[in-house]
Amino acid sequence: MKISSLRHFGAAGALALLAMSATAQAATQGSLGSTSTGTVSISATVPGRVQISGLSDFAFGTLDPTTAASTAKNVCVWSNTATKGYNITATGDGAASAFTLTNGSTTLAYGVEWAGSSGQSTGTSLATSSAATGFTSTATNPSCSAGPATTASLIVKFSTAQMQSAVGSASAYTGILTLVVAPE
Amino acid sequence: MATRVPATARIQGRSGVSPHHPWIGFCAFALFVLTAAPALAQSNNVRLTKLSDVPFGTITNFASDSVSSQSVCAFSASATKNYHVTASGSGTGGAFSLASGSSSLAYDVQWNGASGQTSGTQLSPNVALTGLLSAATQQACNSGPATSGSLIVILRSSAVSSARAGSYSGTLTLVIGPE
Repeated sequence: MKISSLRHFGAAGALALLAMSATAQAATQGSLGSTSTGTVSISATVPGRVQISGLSDFAFGTLDPTTAASTAKNVCVWSNTATKGYNITATGDGAASAFTLTNGSTTLAYGVEWAGSSGQSTGTSLATSSAATGFTSTATNPSCSAGPATTASLIVKFSTAQMQSAVGSASAYTGILTLVVAPE
Repeated sequence: MATRVPATARIQGRSGVSPHHPWIGFCAFALFVLTAAPALAQSNNVRLTKLSDVPFGTITNFASDSVSSQSVCAFSASATKNYHVTASGSGTGGAFSLASGSSSLAYDVQWNGASGQTSGTQLSPNVALTGLLSAATQQACNSGPATSGSLIVILRSSAVSSARAGSYSGTLTLVIGPE
């Protein structure tokens, strides 16, 4: 049984914004004199934004159904909210967005975990289409090009039970995992 | 004979005042002051008008700079029509930064001595940009050119990307002086 590729990509998430505009202070004009002073009010609203990056494919190769398999990868999640908080929702491309791979005729289930810090091999188990909340990013840059290079861990795993339930196949099981982060 | 001596000669050389007419020299001096003072004041006057607020609204593109430019009227009555401009923001020490609670968002300010421009010379807080020439012929640009300079405010994408979400505001003060 060979799983050639499991692709997943992230999407920058939504916004929630406080649209309170700062008290508008009209520009003032200068008067004629030895110096002349004028003022302008400047305002801008920065909406809540998040970004997930640094993702790469998972290629497990040939699996041994008697030995659980797990791969963890470090990724970058950035959030610009006051708390730098975010939530994450994962969906597979199986039936009803299930976390399953397919070889074209049968499926192989897998598990997904998320940790709010990088370098982790285990994390919070994710259920498809259900947001896991309360994560905080340490990223200082949307793509982690400055500051921490990664801020979270994505773990994909196969239990022995999942592998033993699948049909052995010379064809690779493949699928796509979609990750959506949103500000909190 | 002393009363026929031109007043300017009396001002330039006090020794030329006749001891027989001590008030003539004073009157000539007073006349000089009264006529000269208004002319000096007028030649040094400047005026900055036609300023507008800069509302960037909600920043939707974090990948590009947000630029707002406006044409203003900078008038200088100096002999050369030259002026300088000094800008200061409402951040600490006059820094060009907006505030949203305890968070700040830096911005850049540029000035161009011609109207209708979208870029100019970068200003530093509290540092005068000198050598500007005004095309204005009336103090409020009510006649002649309608505007004579450009104020450009820039929110850099790098600053926006690193700013926390929120509604930011601040005040930019511009002072012009004659040269």
